[in-house]
Amino acid sequence: MNCRSEVLEVTVEARQVEEAMLALLHTILLHRSTGKFHYKKEGTYSIGTVGTQDIDCDFIDFTFVRVSSEELDRMIRKAVSEFKDALSNSGSDGMGQISLEFYQKKKSRWPFSDECIPWEVWSIKVNVVNLANEQERQICREKVGEKLGEKVINVVEVINRHEYLPKMPTQSEVDNVFDTTLKDVQPYLYKITYQITDSLGTSVSTTMRRD
Amino acid sequence: MAHFDTEYQRLEASYSDSPPGEENLLMHVPEGVKSQWHHIENLDLIFLNTYYVYNLHQKNGFTCMLLGEIFELVQLLFVVGFTVFLANCVDYDVLFANKFVNHTDSSKVTLPDAFLPVDVCSARIRNNAFVIFVLIISGVFWLHRLFKFIYNVCCYWEIRSFYINALKMTMSELPYATWQEVQARIVEIQKEHQICIHKKELTELDIYHRILRFKNYMVAMVNKSLLPVRFRLPVLGEYVFYTRGLKYNFELIFFWGPGSLFENEWSLKQEYKRGGNRLELADRLASRILWIGIANLLLCPVILVWQILYAFFSYTEVIKREPGSLGARCWSLYGRCYLRHFNELDHELMSRLSKGYKAASKYMNCFLSPLLTVVAKNVAFFAGSLLAVLIALTIYDEDVLAVEHVLSSITLLGVCITICRSFIPDKHMVFCPEQLLRVILAHIHYMPDHWQGNAHRYETRDQFSQLFQYKAVFILEELLSPVVTPIILIFCLRRKSLEIIDFFRNFTVEVVGVGDTCSFAQMDIRQHGHPAWMSEGKTEASIYQQAEDGKTELSLMHFAITNPQWQPPRETTHFISQLKERVHREATGAPSDTHPMSLSESEPRSLIANLLTGPSTLASVHFDRDISLANHAAAGINDGGSALRSLSPISSSLHLRGSLSAAHRAAGHTSRTMAGSGTDARTVSSGSSAWEGQLTSLVLSEYASTEMSIHALYMHELHKQQSRGEMSRHTWHRQESDESSDSIPDEVRSEPIPHSRNFPRSHTFPTTVPSPSAIPTSASATSSTALGQERKRCGSCIVRSARVPMGGWAEDGQTAQRHHEPLPEESLEDEMPPHIHKVNALSFCVCY
Repeated sequence: MNCRSEVLEVTVEARQVEEAMLALLHTILLHRSTGKFHYKKEGTYSIGTVGTQDIDCDFIDFTFVRVSSEELDRMIRKAVSEFKDALSNSGSDGMGQISLEFYQKKKSRWPFSDECIPWEVWSIKVNVVNLANEQERQICREKVGEKLGEKVINVVEVINRHEYLPKMPTQSEVDNVFDTTLKDVQPYLYKITYQITDSLGTSVSTTMRRD
Repeated sequence: MAHFDTEYQRLEASYSDSPPGEENLLMHVPEGVKSQWHHIENLDLIFLNTYYVYNLHQKNGFTCMLLGEIFELVQLLFVVGFTVFLANCVDYDVLFANKFVNHTDSSKVTLPDAFLPVDVCSARIRNNAFVIFVLIISGVFWLHRLFKFIYNVCCYWEIRSFYINALKMTMSELPYATWQEVQARIVEIQKEHQICIHKKELTELDIYHRILRFKNYMVAMVNKSLLPVRFRLPVLGEYVFYTRGLKYNFELIFFWGPGSLFENEWSLKQEYKRGGNRLELADRLASRILWIGIANLLLCPVILVWQILYAFFSYTEVIKREPGSLGARCWSLYGRCYLRHFNELDHELMSRLSKGYKAASKYMNCFLSPLLTVVAKNVAFFAGSLLAVLIALTIYDEDVLAVEHVLSSITLLGVCITICRSFIPDKHMVFCPEQLLRVILAHIHYMPDHWQGNAHRYETRDQFSQLFQYKAVFILEELLSPVVTPIILIFCLRRKSLEIIDFFRNFTVEVVGVGDTCSFAQMDIRQHGHPAWMSEGKTEASIYQQAEDGKTELSLMHFAITNPQWQPPRETTHFISQLKERVHREATGAPSDTHPMSLSESEPRSLIANLLTGPSTLASVHFDRDISLANHAAAGINDGGSALRSLSPISSSLHLRGSLSAAHRAAGHTSRTMAGSGTDARTVSSGSSAWEGQLTSLVLSEYASTEMSIHALYMHELHKQQSRGEMSRHTWHRQESDESSDSIPDEVRSEPIPHSRNFPRSHTFPTTVPSPSAIPTSASATSSTALGQERKRCGSCIVRSARVPMGGWAEDGQTAQRHHEPLPEESLEDEMPPHIHKVNALSFCVCY
C-alpha cells in the first residue's frame, strides 16, 4: 500500500511490442539510475559517470535514450522478450501488463527472510492490435511513435515531482537500495514482472506484485 | 637581477589547474538510513486497529501488554485443567462426608483426602470420550493462541522500538501520555521520516482511518441497518441480539477470514469494486456465509462448553461478592455500535458512555414496575427476617453454622434480598425521565427522534434497554450466542448478501496513502449529509447515501472538536464554523437579548477557546446560563448546558470553583445587581488565571467532551424543530425524487406497527418492519441489471434498489401526520430557541 503506482497504457501492433516496452522501461530506468558509488574513508562517496546512448527503433518512428550499459540492456531485453513470447502465445488479441517495481530491502533477523518493500511501481498496460494492410501499418508506426513520445514526457513529469525516494545509503546499506551487481551503472533495486490477460477479457489477477 | 622584496607573493594552495584526479570529484555525504522507520511497507502494521500503536498505548506499554497476554494463556490452561480436574479427580463423597475416611491420626478431613489417586484419575479421563474431545479441541485452540501470542509479541516488539526510537517515548511514560500526544508525535515524525510516502504530512484523520478502518464499516452498517441484529420475536417483541460471537463472525466474513471481501488489511478486492458481476459475487458471499454458519454449528458444542465454563469462572466469584452486579446494567454491544461516531476511538467512546452511565441507570430505574416493587418489598421483608434470625443465632453460638444447609441458606437469602432491593426504587427519587434522557443524550449523542417527548413511555424505555441492558442479560446472551449465531448467519445474514455487496461497492473510497476506507468515515457532508440535520442545501446525498440519525454531522463535529489541529476540507470547515458560531451565539447571546448589559462581549469563537482563554469568559458563560434560567428564557441549548454544568466534573473542578461560585452568587441575585456581580466574577477569575498555562491535554479533552455535549444537544434540538416544521416537505420530496416508492405495496405502507399505534416513530430508528422482507429481493432484482453498470454516485438508480431494505419507510406517512398538529408558528424559526418553562428547568435541577 505504501507505494506509488503509475500506470501507462499503450496500444501497439504485435511486432512493435518489444521495442515499445524497451523504450518505456529504459526511459524509466534512465531516470532511476545513478553512477557507481565510490565510498571514501570519512563516510563520503563520489558518484561515477553514466553514459547515455540514443536508440532508434526499427518498427516505430521513435528514438529513445537509454543508459549505455550492455548488462542492463541485456537484462531488460530478456524480461521483455519473455513477456512478448507469453503475449503471442496467449491467443489472438493479447492484453498484458508489464510492471517495473522499485523496492528497498530490509534486513531481517535470522528466521525471516529479507523483506522487499516496494516504493514505486510502474505498470505498462499493452493492448495488441492486428492491422490489415501496409498503409494502416504505416500510420500506426507514426502514431505509436507520437504516443511513446507523450509517454516519455509523462514519465519525466512524474519523476520531476519531488516525491519520496529512498535516502542515499551508507556503504554498508548500499545493497539495500541500489542494484550494485552491474559494472557501469547503479540503478535502484528493481524487478520486472508481467501478467497476461486471457482472450476472454476476464482479468487473470494472479498478480505477482507485492504492495 | 635585484631581488625585489614586494608584498606580492605567489599564492600557494588557493588554486590549482585542476589536475584531473579522484580527489577532486564532487563529494557526497550519505544521509544514511537514519532510522528504520522511514517508508514502512505496511503502514497499518504501525497503525492497525487491534495490535499496534494504538493498542500498545491503550494497553499501557509493552510490559503490561506482555503480562496480560501471558496471563490470558495461563488462564486458558487453568480453566480447562481445573474443570477436568474437578470433573474427574475429586471424590465428592468424601467432600460431602457421605463416605468416611479412615484416618489414623486425626478425624479431620483434609482437602487432599478428596483427591483421587493419579492412576484412577487418568484412567477415568482416558475412558471418557467427551473429556478427551474437549481436551483435544482446547489444546488446538490453545496452540493457536500461543502462535498468535508469539506473533503478537514480535509485532509489539517492533512497535515498542517505534515508540522508543521514532516517537521518543519510553514505555514507562506511555501509560501517562494521552493518545492525542502520541498522535501529535506521529504527525511530527511523518515530516521528518516520511513513513508514508504518498504525502508530506499525515493528518489526524488519516491516522484515525487506519486505526478504525473496519470499525467504521461496522458502524456504518449498523447505522444503515444492514446487519441482521434486530429481530421480531413472538413473545419478546422486538429484540436486539448482538453478541461478541456474532460480531466475530461478521468480521470474519467481511474483513479478514479466508475468502473475505478484503484482499488485505487495507484494500477491498478489485472485483467487489465493480458492479458488473454483483449477483455472482452475492452468490459467492451467500455460500461463504452458509459454510461459516455450518462450521459454527459444528463447533457449537465446543464453544458452548467453553462459554459456560468461562462465564462460570469469571462471574461466580463476582456474583458471590456483590450479587447486585447482576442487576446492574451495561452498555450493550449493539449500543456501542449504534452510539459510536465515525472515527471514534475505543477510549473516547468508553469515556463518553461511562459518563452517561449514571444518568442512564437512573433513567432505567424510573421504570420499575409497581407490581414487582410490591412483591419485592414483601419478599425482601420475609427473607430479611429469616436472615436476621439466622445471623442472630450464629452470633450467639457459631455451632449453628454446622447445621446442615444453614450457611447455604444464609447465602441464598442474602442474594435474594439483594435482588429484591434492586426492584425497590429509591425513596428520594423523582420521576423526571424527560430531563434524564436529555442528560443522557448529552453524553451518548445519538437518540432516535421519537424518544424526545416520549421519555416517560414504556416503549422508549424498552428501546433504550436495547442499548443499555442488564449485565445478567448480557451474560445470558453470550451463553446463548454459540447456538443462535449459526442460525442468524444461515437464515438472516445470507439473505442480505446482495445488499452487503452493494454496500461495500457503493461506500468504499480509496484514499491515497490510506487505502480503502468506508466513505461515511470521510464525514463529507456533501456526500452523506442528512438534510434534516443542518446540512440542508449542502448535501447532495440520495436517501441511500444519507447516514441516519445525523451520524455524519455529529461525527464531524465530534472529530473536529476532539482534534482541533485537524484541517478539514473547505466546505466542511464552513459547516463546522457556522455551527460553532451558532451554538456560541445561542449559548451566550440568548440572554443578551433581554439584557444588553450581558457579560459576553467575547467574540464568537469556539466555546472551547473561550473556556481556555480565561476563566472570566467561562464564568460569563455559566453566568449567562443562570441568568437565562432566572429569566424564563432558557433556550434548549442553555438547558442542556446547565444540565452539563450540574453534571460534568467541570463545575466541581477545583480550578474553576472560585469563579463558578461567583457566578452562582450572581445568579442568585436579580438583574438589578447584574453589573456588580459581573465584575465580581471577573475579579475572582483574574485571580485564578495563573493556572491557565498549565492546562494539560487531559483538561483539554475534558473540555472537548463538554463542548461536544453542548453541540450534540444543540444539533438534536435544531433537528427536532426542523423535522417538526419540515417533515411534510421531506416526505413529499422523497416521494417525488423516488419513483420506486410506488413499488411499495399499499398494505405495507398503511400497516400499523403494533407498538406504535399512538407512538410517533421516526424513520431514523432502525426498526424491523414485519412484512416487507420479501420486497428487497424483488425490487433489487428488477433494478439489478440497471444497477450493474452504474458507479458510485448515480443517485436514483441505487436508491431504487436499496431504499426499501433500509426499513422503516413504511411509517413515513404516519409520522408526517402526527408531527403536523402540534405546531406553533414561532417554533418554525430556526434561530428562535424553544422556550422551556421555568418549572421544567428547575425541576431538572432538583433531579440533580
